[in-house]
Amino acid sequence: MLIATLFSSDPLSFVSGKAKPLCQWRLKLLFENAVTMIERLQTYLPRLVLSPSFVLILLFVYGFIAFTGYLSVSDSRMLPSLGFVGLENYEKLFSLRHWSIALKNLAIFGILYIVICTVIGLGLAILLDMKIRGEGVLRPIYLYPMALSFIVTGTAWKWFLDPGIGLENVMHLWGWESFSFNWIKSREMAIYTVVLAAVWQSSGFVMAMFLAGLRGIDNEILKAAQIDGASNWQLYRRIVIPMLRPAFLSAFVVLAHLAIKAYDLVIALTNGGPGRATELPATFMYSYSFTRNQMGIGASSAVIMLMMIASIIIPYLYSELREKKT
Amino acid sequence: MSAASKDTALRTGVIARALIYSILLVFAVFYLLPLFVMLVNSLKTLDEIRQGNMLAFPEVFTFEPWIQAWGEAQIGVEPTGLKPYFINSLVMVVPAVIISTLLGAINGYVLTKWQFRGHRVVFGLMLFSCFIPFQIVLIPMARILGILDLAGTTSGLVLVHVVYGLGFTTLFFRNYYDAFPTELIRAATIDGAGFFRIFRRILLPSSGPIIVVTVIWQFTNVWNDFLFGASFADFDSQPMTVALNNLVSSSTGVKEYNVHFAGAILAALPTLIVYVVSGRYFVRGLMAGAVKG
Amino acid sequence: MAFLEINRLHKQYGSVEVLKGVDIAIEEGGFLVLVGPSGCGKSTLLNTIAGLESISSGEISIDGKVVNDLHPSKRDIAMVFQSYALYPSMSVGENIAFGLEMRGVSKADREKAIQGVAGMLQIEHLLKRRPGQLSGGQRQRVAMGRALVRDPKLFLFDEPLSNLDAKLRVDMRTEIKRLHQKLGTTIVYVTHDQIEAMTLATQIAVLKDGILQQVGSPDEVYSKPANMFVADFMGSPTMNLIEARIENGGGSLSVEIPQRDRSLSLPVPQPPTSLQSYSGRSVVLGIRPEDITDLDGADPKAEHIAHANCSVEVVEPTGADTFVVTQLGGKEVTGRMRSANGLSVGADVPFAFNMGKIHFFDPATELRIA
Repeated sequence: MLIATLFSSDPLSFVSGKAKPLCQWRLKLLFENAVTMIERLQTYLPRLVLSPSFVLILLFVYGFIAFTGYLSVSDSRMLPSLGFVGLENYEKLFSLRHWSIALKNLAIFGILYIVICTVIGLGLAILLDMKIRGEGVLRPIYLYPMALSFIVTGTAWKWFLDPGIGLENVMHLWGWESFSFNWIKSREMAIYTVVLAAVWQSSGFVMAMFLAGLRGIDNEILKAAQIDGASNWQLYRRIVIPMLRPAFLSAFVVLAHLAIKAYDLVIALTNGGPGRATELPATFMYSYSFTRNQMGIGASSAVIMLMMIASIIIPYLYSELREKKT
Repeated sequence: MSAASKDTALRTGVIARALIYSILLVFAVFYLLPLFVMLVNSLKTLDEIRQGNMLAFPEVFTFEPWIQAWGEAQIGVEPTGLKPYFINSLVMVVPAVIISTLLGAINGYVLTKWQFRGHRVVFGLMLFSCFIPFQIVLIPMARILGILDLAGTTSGLVLVHVVYGLGFTTLFFRNYYDAFPTELIRAATIDGAGFFRIFRRILLPSSGPIIVVTVIWQFTNVWNDFLFGASFADFDSQPMTVALNNLVSSSTGVKEYNVHFAGAILAALPTLIVYVVSGRYFVRGLMAGAVKG
Repeated sequence: MAFLEINRLHKQYGSVEVLKGVDIAIEEGGFLVLVGPSGCGKSTLLNTIAGLESISSGEISIDGKVVNDLHPSKRDIAMVFQSYALYPSMSVGENIAFGLEMRGVSKADREKAIQGVAGMLQIEHLLKRRPGQLSGGQRQRVAMGRALVRDPKLFLFDEPLSNLDAKLRVDMRTEIKRLHQKLGTTIVYVTHDQIEAMTLATQIAVLKDGILQQVGSPDEVYSKPANMFVADFMGSPTMNLIEARIENGGGSLSVEIPQRDRSLSLPVPQPPTSLQSYSGRSVVLGIRPEDITDLDGADPKAEHIAHANCSVEVVEPTGADTFVVTQLGGKEVTGRMRSANGLSVGADVPFAFNMGKIHFFDPATELRIA
């Protein structure tokens, strides 16, 4: 406004010689146009500010997904190539023994990882919620593995489970000569060591989620249930655990998507071995795309992984965002 | 989480209580064991590890493995130790965290306080990007980094971590600002403050906690990343995790377990320190990342 | 032209119309209270005056200038919010001066302005504190200070007292009234509390479902409600609304209230001509609790008191008065008695009806007849 009065007041007409009303009017119009321009800009500014991030996401996430999707139906081998081959790569993929091993391992690993983490997490949370002295010390101990890199976790467990120097050796030294624990060297059992290390890393986090859920339950409900005559066991089974439904759901979604993405831990712990006994889809994709020069097959395995995660995440996000709306 | 345990009025006997405490202690041992093993054995000589008990304290303390791991161990072809890679990681983490946090803050601000038609879709698309298996972007990313002449560089890794961290940082700030009273924005609008001024003067000064949560989250994730580092980095940009893996899994020569353990602790140290110093915020970040919407 | 004029204002969210053609005008120095139940559109109306929400059609002008497309900061208004909306990261002084700072007022002038306002509101000792360290009443004062310091043309208040406890609310109400009288500012004030509306306003506008029901002085709205909604909304306890019939008994009208055994007939003194055409038809009779009393408690100045026996169903002492509930025309009817009246439940006692202050409404249109 101040500038507007400056523009249309005397000093300007002095500069331009004789003040012509028309000229003033024109200038004022010009200025008002500029003002509306600025106000227009103000209304688009938020979108403008958001757009770099949005473009990055569109390009680097959804564009790349589309690109990989196309590669999965192309004849790419060492380098991306655009020759269309239909679903040939998918057919090859599902006839590969490595891929079926990877899927079977993912099933074993995923189910055990989710179930064991949930059981331990829920159990520890319930116990910790019983007015435990020293909760402030125990809780951080349960949780710290989550701060570590899977590579560190893998390194620690790799040598600890090594029969030559680790647990087995310790038991022998303590006099338990017949003790044998060589899972990490065994084709059949190696995948369970991956479960062990992954549970070690993530179960504390699940505990924290359940603990937050428990602390969010209205205490008066528990008192009411006790007045109704519920025993501790009934209290948890009938009242508390059903009320933790959202925490169960969140834990499941987080753990499932971590399981499907699991890569670093296997690399550090077993490097997919012995042989290919601990191959998972993530390690499969990497080796087929970048070391075995089968990029088309690698891309199709990545698409399958995405579809697995999407089938879990999209319904979850959809319900979460919709709840938020109401 | 910080609130004291509520009076659940649960009656538990002495025996039950003893049982509860022993279970909790057993699990504490389980979680601490690997850290203990790493720490104790990183201070032993190699001979002592080979012939001794992995769970025993060292008979002869030695810092040699630490010195080795930091400055002398053979990684790849050069006997450089982990030091240069530690620096690589730092140089990568700092800008990646700052940029993604800033972008997340401004995105969260727009998505809550300046909503436009379709803001829900935009947020949904950003949110889903948090969960994609990164295998799906590896091949095109490698191409693009090549085209941008960023292949094998720290800048390239920073770009990657910014892009794939945006979903989470935006989520954190969006949820935080969603609870921020809109009346404050209205008051500031009447007072004459514009888009950026409201952000800088009204929202940012109240964003301390969520900035801490986001920075810790991003720092932990970027520092601990292995896949992108292994896929897109060169010798002079390889992060700590990749170097550690190379050190541990190198198939040549004797396995220097003590050096491996020292190296693993070195790789874990920054995130562990962050966790110890501000565990509360770390947990809050984990929760915010898990419980969405 | 009035100081604030709102003409044919419409506001739509998508297909939902929240304001359906509102016309209000207020003179300079007036105190307009927008009142109505929640969801009636009163806050939306206030926000459109502030410019925080755009309007779909119509016109808003302040001091002769159409402000439809003007940014909130350029309308020369100040607003006090329900949550007070104090900036949590700034001290009280900075909060008060933020609007001036945004307008480029120098630091020295800002200091002076802060001191002036702080003195007026007696918050000098709070200037260095953060909003988080203040009590509810103190925050309320700071929020008012932030509005006052700007010396705007128009003040907007959005339910400013609803977050205070009952006693403080009464105190602050008096304080706001005093400030208005002292400063002579023009105020638009939103509340759902009809007592606040009555005590503060020079003009009350009653809204329901986005439609303006009545605008008028507090006395007009209270004693001549335009329709049954306004009659019911203003006043506490609410006006008794009883279905009844108008009977023409040889030139004089009476109102018949059907009862279980015999219908109750009350004479209508000086019936307005508009009521004549309703003779023989049903109407809704409105009578406020204070116009139904015990015989001794009837207004000595009232000219037309009718007596009738009613049976006492509930007795609610409030200290100063006692509310007595009885049945009339199949509806609960509340009367207001002197406190020490010794009424007991079930007793059949004479009630005095002040027939000079009764209201009639058309049962179909719900509009006021007389």
